[in-house]
Amino acid sequence: MAAVAPLLATQALSKYFGGLAAVRDVSLEVGQGEIRAIIGPNGAGKTTLVGMICGRHAPSAGTIRYEGRDVTRLRPWERLRLGIAYTFQVTSIFKGLTCYENVALPAQRALMRGLARRLAPGEAEVAARVRAALESVGLAELAGRRADELAYGHQRLLEIAMALATGPRLLILDEPTQGLAEGEIATLCELVRRIARQATVLLIEHNMQVVLALAGRVTVMEAGEILTEGTPAEIERHPEVQRAYLGR
Amino acid sequence: MSTGRKVLALHLAVLAALALLQFALPPYHHTNVARIMVLAGYAIGYNVLLGYTGLMSLGHAMFFAAGMYGAGLPVYYFGVGAPAAFGLGVASGTALALLFGLMALRTSGPSFLIVSMMFGQALFLVTLYFNDVTLGDQGFILSGKLAPLELAGARLAFEAPAVKYNLALAIFAGCLLAALALRVSALGRVLIGIRENEERTRLLGYDSFRYKLLALAVSGTLAAAAGAGYALLFSYVGSTFASILFSIYPLLWTLLGGIGTVLGPLLGTALMFYLVDTVSGITSSYLLFVGAALIALVLWFPLGVLGTLRGRWLPWLP
Repeated sequence: MAAVAPLLATQALSKYFGGLAAVRDVSLEVGQGEIRAIIGPNGAGKTTLVGMICGRHAPSAGTIRYEGRDVTRLRPWERLRLGIAYTFQVTSIFKGLTCYENVALPAQRALMRGLARRLAPGEAEVAARVRAALESVGLAELAGRRADELAYGHQRLLEIAMALATGPRLLILDEPTQGLAEGEIATLCELVRRIARQATVLLIEHNMQVVLALAGRVTVMEAGEILTEGTPAEIERHPEVQRAYLGR
Repeated sequence: MSTGRKVLALHLAVLAALALLQFALPPYHHTNVARIMVLAGYAIGYNVLLGYTGLMSLGHAMFFAAGMYGAGLPVYYFGVGAPAAFGLGVASGTALALLFGLMALRTSGPSFLIVSMMFGQALFLVTLYFNDVTLGDQGFILSGKLAPLELAGARLAFEAPAVKYNLALAIFAGCLLAALALRVSALGRVLIGIRENEERTRLLGYDSFRYKLLALAVSGTLAAAAGAGYALLFSYVGSTFASILFSIYPLLWTLLGGIGTVLGPLLGTALMFYLVDTVSGITSSYLLFVGAALIALVLWFPLGVLGTLRGRWLPWLP
């Protein structure tokens, strides 16, 4: 491995909910441009871990470094401005608004500098960013539709478009294929590969086929800790992994 | 015509219609419409918080009253002129809204509702407690204390119906255009985002507290402008306007006209005003009819008149 500083590095990161350790002493490094998968059984602490990385949860202990700086104490909106974007496991879109409006909110974020731009951020620029984001997930045709009228698979894609519109450098996808049909999964894999040309991707995923197809490296979590880490091929062979996760 | 132009044209047309209406109205309705316009400004302010941002307040009378007392007391005690008094009233409302927001916006949902009601009641009690200054629920009258407005060499007496009507229209237009500008701006989009899904909005890069504080400040400022205008134009300041009833009214007007629509508060205020006016000519228990109207509204038109119209036929309506 080249001696470049990783894009993201957590150091002994822990999160306790009451007496329960959801995440314990996790030190994780993700390199620039990587597609990193995090796998593990339900309750392994994957979502809590990425929740701390994007700022949804404050860590109980440990630090998070991103692009060489300590972001542990930054609030979620400050981390987003540094390029950390998160898509929810349970789709969290603005159901009552059109697809256009859903994506316009994150799209205008980067354009809102100073009071004048806050009142009028240049709707043409916003529209261009919205179109680009919707096109990249294949939803451009549905821009005027209300989000709650979309099929579930399209809602998942809208969720990703919202994150893309922020111009992420680290995109966290929390189980993006959950509930998708076979054909949709293939499309999504293609999309993630395209995203990975511009951004680093942190992918929580249950579908091993997807993990093997996409990830450069895989981190396996169990009971709040990192069990092991390696290439997809190594992970597949790992006996502990087979026992704990693949159920063999 | 683009949607943006259509929206602007519609709102300017409403203002123009109100301006022309004064030449057609008989004196009784002339005064009523002037009152409705000022109160609709209050409702528009309320709607900025409830309709756009999703925060329900039951203490908004405190901002209306801040405007009313902020304008009325300097006139009554120090003979301050109308423009300065209006400015003082509006500034009182803005200051109170910011102060209140810094404390109350730590809460949300039902807790915010209750905290806002407590602050509203506290201010109401303050106006009663300092009876010596405010003259409590008996209130005070500004006629004779308020100098006529000097405008381009003309002396405009506040008692003159035309002056009353057109100043009321000016206040209403200010509130309406401010709300419209906010609604179609980038800030408005963030407020709608907070209303629909606050956590998501935070994770999309927005510090929701600051935006809610801003919405509250705008809302309180518009309410105070209406309160100050009401005091100056209708020449009376009293505790009644700080009571809980005056916090409930803008909620009802907004619900009736269409929550989250720019023109809804005007429609709701006008409908409710004339409902009360008509019914109280028949019976003294007019609140019974108001209640019945509200039940019907919640059952069949939960989005209010304009909200229903927007849902069915006019999706572009802001």
